[in-house]
Amino acid sequence: MTGAVVAACVVVFVAVRLWLRLRRRRGPASSSRGEGAVDLHGAPLVAAREIRERVRGRPFRIGTAFILVAVAAAIVIPVLNRSSSAPEQVGVVGASPHQLGALVVATARAAGITVHVVTEPSASAARRALSAGHLDVVMLGDRAVVVSTLDPTGASTSTQLATALAESLGVRAAYRAADLTPSQIAQLAGARPVPVLSLATTTAHRNVGTSIFGVILVFLMLQQYNTWILLGVMEEKSSRVVEVLLATVRPMQLLAGKVLGIGLVAMGQASVIVAFALCLGAAVGSNLLHGSAPTEVASALLWLVLGYAFYCWAYAAAASLAERQDQIQSVALPLSIPIVFGYVMALTAAVSGNASTLFKVLAYLPPTAPFAMPVLVGLGQVTVWGFCASVAISIVCTVGIARLAAVIYRRAILRTGAKVRLRDVLRVAH
Amino acid sequence: MGPLELNGLTRRFGSVTALDDLTFSVPAGRVVGFLGPNGAGKTTTMRAIFGLTDLDAGSVTWSGAAIGQAERRRFGYMPEERGLYPTMKVAEQVAYLGRLHGMDPAGAAAATRSWLERLGVAHRADDKVESLSHGNQQRVQLAAALVHGPELLVLDEPLAGLDPAGIDAIGQVLVEQARAGCGVLLSSHQLDLVEDLCASVTIIDHGRVVVSGDVDVLAASGPRRLVVRVEGDRDAGWAGGLAGVRVSERAGGEARLVLDDDVDSDAVLRAAMAAGRVTAFSFERRRLSEVFREALG
Repeated sequence: MTGAVVAACVVVFVAVRLWLRLRRRRGPASSSRGEGAVDLHGAPLVAAREIRERVRGRPFRIGTAFILVAVAAAIVIPVLNRSSSAPEQVGVVGASPHQLGALVVATARAAGITVHVVTEPSASAARRALSAGHLDVVMLGDRAVVVSTLDPTGASTSTQLATALAESLGVRAAYRAADLTPSQIAQLAGARPVPVLSLATTTAHRNVGTSIFGVILVFLMLQQYNTWILLGVMEEKSSRVVEVLLATVRPMQLLAGKVLGIGLVAMGQASVIVAFALCLGAAVGSNLLHGSAPTEVASALLWLVLGYAFYCWAYAAAASLAERQDQIQSVALPLSIPIVFGYVMALTAAVSGNASTLFKVLAYLPPTAPFAMPVLVGLGQVTVWGFCASVAISIVCTVGIARLAAVIYRRAILRTGAKVRLRDVLRVAH
Repeated sequence: MGPLELNGLTRRFGSVTALDDLTFSVPAGRVVGFLGPNGAGKTTTMRAIFGLTDLDAGSVTWSGAAIGQAERRRFGYMPEERGLYPTMKVAEQVAYLGRLHGMDPAGAAAATRSWLERLGVAHRADDKVESLSHGNQQRVQLAAALVHGPELLVLDEPLAGLDPAGIDAIGQVLVEQARAGCGVLLSSHQLDLVEDLCASVTIIDHGRVVVSGDVDVLAASGPRRLVVRVEGDRDAGWAGGLAGVRVSERAGGEARLVLDDDVDSDAVLRAAMAAGRVTAFSFERRRLSEVFREALG
């Protein structure tokens, strides 16, 4: 929920900052819209309408349901796969089956394999059960371990278990041959390996799955919210309702209200999805949300908000240049390029588990940071200060792009008929 | 409350001068027709009132003071290109626009119900705008301009595309609004309707005022108009040879004549009687369409 709070602060901060700046710049005689006292009268109403219309719309409900299903599948399916593998059936033959059984359980636990120990009356009965597939591994006392087929690659669980059991039996035989006391044997059995160091900086195990999950979520949701902005602005322009609205509210109020309204819906949706993921993950014991995952989830949420705050203004300005669906696609294309580039780079880095220098640079550029920075966090390759610096850069650039977007929007939104060219908007004095 | 005054408005788009020192006013309690050929600058003028286009020179004032956002929220606007959210419900949309004009939720809802009822679209209140006919959308648009009880109405072609019943309904509303003290500025190409609705007109061309004044005064001005019907003579050929007499219109067997000041109407009557049996002979006011055509040359 921290992400949602920061999100609200960022969007409100940018909107208010822009409004104050425009207010200062607007002298009483500077334009036909010049006036004295200014208020935010229209923006909350515009935002409320956006929220109402979005939440009520079928696309929102279907989209939310689709994402929730996808999230549930991403969390539950790996858990089901993990738990669906049946325990290895181990047959034990010998004079002291309980001791052998305890050895099997301890060895299997150390190897991360679930086992079920079955005491067999004789070696021949055990071999028959193995041949029939009722057993996976047979221990003939402490003399030998039998499997039906020995996997030369060592990939099968039965082979891994048999190998581990054979090693344990060998070590135990060696202890006996050395005539060690039980306490000496226990001391040796409790031996801990020394740490293994590497030249690479990664020292802790990281949950790559959460990073990938976060990047995909940020990408999908940013695309969805940007599309809302595009279609929302275009609808007002193409239906000409914008002229009625602008007779009452200022362009910046209308734009800020729209961005705020859609942003709040977006944050609400993101919060629901993340809360759902956290609850479901906890309920089914998913690895996706263990270890460093909460930090990564919080980071992804924050960058979803920062990404929205950055791109929403740009998409609104782009939409104000167009009034038809075919025009929308061409004006939005340049904006989608950094999004797709950042997304692909982030996925590549998350899967490989290594961040190149280029990727680290991308994590500090506002258009690609929403994808790159959460992955850097997941890989543990960014400091707190580096993270904060990237956030600061993103906020500053968001203020800049919002100012530019406001100018473009004001100049282009009432120009109808054909697609408005960006250079004409920026060049012509209005 | 008012008047709205436009003083020396000038607006250039590159080499095109859309408004050229345009000056006129809209008094409170009057319906003012705003006329001009296509491209004369009517829409630009109306947009300037709402600050939707910047001005190179001039000012727009309300009650003698510069117009700000607070004043604009007390105006009602119906732009030339109608604007409503297509997928929003009728009543919600009108109430929403009322709220943008500063109304509280309850007041906006009540006023919405009242105006939809008054304009005959209350039964469509819960329908999406896009499902309404053009005429009904026009009524909803007018309801949106009226919902907050404006002190000034600026309507760009409010009667275009309406059937006679729609024209009567909207015309009646506009006259009532003016009687209640609201200033109404409306543009239209339907000059006969403007003549019936408006107390005064301003005609512009190339961004400048060419004629402005009360409809009655303008109708009474100019050369005399004589309407003559001669049985069996639909072309009014008898009038063609009369000095100082011009046939401005022939319709329904009647000839509409424009007489120079020195023409004797008795001589005209005699000429008509010589051509056949005279069944109509009357002086009439100058029509607004004639004022318009003569003003624009």
